[in-house]
Amino acid sequence: MDRRVAIVGIGQTRYETGKTESLDEIAFEAASKALADAGITRDEVDNVVIAASDQLDGRPISSMTLACPAGGYLKDEVKASDDGTLAVVLACLRLLSGVFHTSLVVSWCKCSEVPTAKVTNLSFDPFFHRDLGLNHINALSFQVNSYLSRYPISEWVPAKIVVKNRANAMGNPYAHLVEEVSLEEVVQSPIVCPPLRQLHLPLECDGACALVLTTRERVRLTTQKPVWISGLGWAMDSYYLGERDLHQLSSVAKAARQAYQRAGIKKPIDEIDVAEINELSAYHEIMAYEALDFCTPGEGYKLVEEGSTELTGKIPVNPSGGALAASPLFAAGLVRIAEAALQVRGDAGERQVTGVRTALAASCYGICAQGSSVFILSQES
Amino acid sequence: MMKEKRELVSVPGKWDISFNYAAGKTVSHFLAQIRDNGRILGMKCAKCHRVMVPPRSFCERCFVPAEDWVELGDEGVVEAFTIVHDVFEGSPPPPYAIAYVKLDGADTALANFVDGLDLSDISEATQRLKIGARVKVEFASRREGRITDFKYRIIG
Ligand SMILES: [Zn+2]
Repeated sequence: MDRRVAIVGIGQTRYETGKTESLDEIAFEAASKALADAGITRDEVDNVVIAASDQLDGRPISSMTLACPAGGYLKDEVKASDDGTLAVVLACLRLLSGVFHTSLVVSWCKCSEVPTAKVTNLSFDPFFHRDLGLNHINALSFQVNSYLSRYPISEWVPAKIVVKNRANAMGNPYAHLVEEVSLEEVVQSPIVCPPLRQLHLPLECDGACALVLTTRERVRLTTQKPVWISGLGWAMDSYYLGERDLHQLSSVAKAARQAYQRAGIKKPIDEIDVAEINELSAYHEIMAYEALDFCTPGEGYKLVEEGSTELTGKIPVNPSGGALAASPLFAAGLVRIAEAALQVRGDAGERQVTGVRTALAASCYGICAQGSSVFILSQES
Repeated sequence: MMKEKRELVSVPGKWDISFNYAAGKTVSHFLAQIRDNGRILGMKCAKCHRVMVPPRSFCERCFVPAEDWVELGDEGVVEAFTIVHDVFEGSPPPPYAIAYVKLDGADTALANFVDGLDLSDISEATQRLKIGARVKVEFASRREGRITDFKYRIIG
């Protein structure tokens, strides 16, 4: 058996706030677009892997109502109650097992239907943390303050990230937030938890994303240019923030090392042409540069100042606009893989980076990036 | 077919479910010691010798059971902090400050609210509440065996 998996279909809804379609309608939309993009029908799919949050969906075991809208009718279906990228990990493993041949991966989230921070507060344990009112946003500044205490960078550096990602999103027809912002607007935006301001944070919204994955043997049955998953890694840090090295993204670094090793990447900044990163904040994008070994720890600001991660830079990051322009929370990581795959195919339209052969997609999930997964996508198998 | 204006409906929902979370022997003892004696205990791993707080009945790194209680000091050092200025449903009304503090004798940091800071002035607050600042544990006079039975206060 040839141990390679390719992305052969990509489907995305528009990412916007207050979508009036129901959850099953957006799952269906993304899944059918992915099948159409692959040039296959649901009949060619032998398993469906979905990823979503029951609490954010407001439906315990949401796959009960959503498996079939996602393409699972009378098929093998499994769900990861976790980040969308983990559905891709799971699908890859299933395909590599030889038991399955073509997977439909679907993830969704409608942030506008629920106070997301109230939900993530409930993710904390009831004994030590929940009573403190912690959530996925106010906990981020533990990390940012820890980073700044070690590497005191100027507030203009993360502001540049926001300006970059917002400007990039102008070329992304799926990103609902198509307003550019200035550096001044970023540093003057309302304070959330210092130093984090409103514009430093992801714009939570609604949307669904789907991919069709298949094996080398089945690629010829699709009409799409295959994008090969040449490396992947995933890792989990401790839940207890008081036990973690908060000034760095340890899970990202661990996942990246695995992905680079599998893909044979030695010098990421020279070998990767474009990256899509699920940035938990503008500061986290800088921390991710370091964890992904684009630069040494503490030097992320230099890449920003040199413009290396801008659309025309050495290693453009988030040409789609990233999570700062549109984040359907649990699906936001899968969107990064979809966007990186479009870059490799040369199908990214206005946001296309020239000459992409190898792309990286990274997701951070859980409180303060407890978990991370990293994918290397390439044209060649 | 005649064109008609279609109405879009959304239906409200609310989860109202009660839970009873068993704390286990270790966490129960920790919370009871806070309530009854105003003492904060850590749990030492016999293998890596880390003193963990919150305490657990095992060390997740060495993956062995842990059972050596260690009494921690009532002072410590700020390892990380957040000062919250925005309103979040399910969280206290802002502003409030939360710090992870490595109590004297512990190897991990424990989170709790920080009291006695003027949080309306951000630069003033971050001058005092910073990584490395020393804090003291202040217990409430009426305690109920919850983490909120104490707060931190910056000293020096
Ligand atoms: Zn240990």
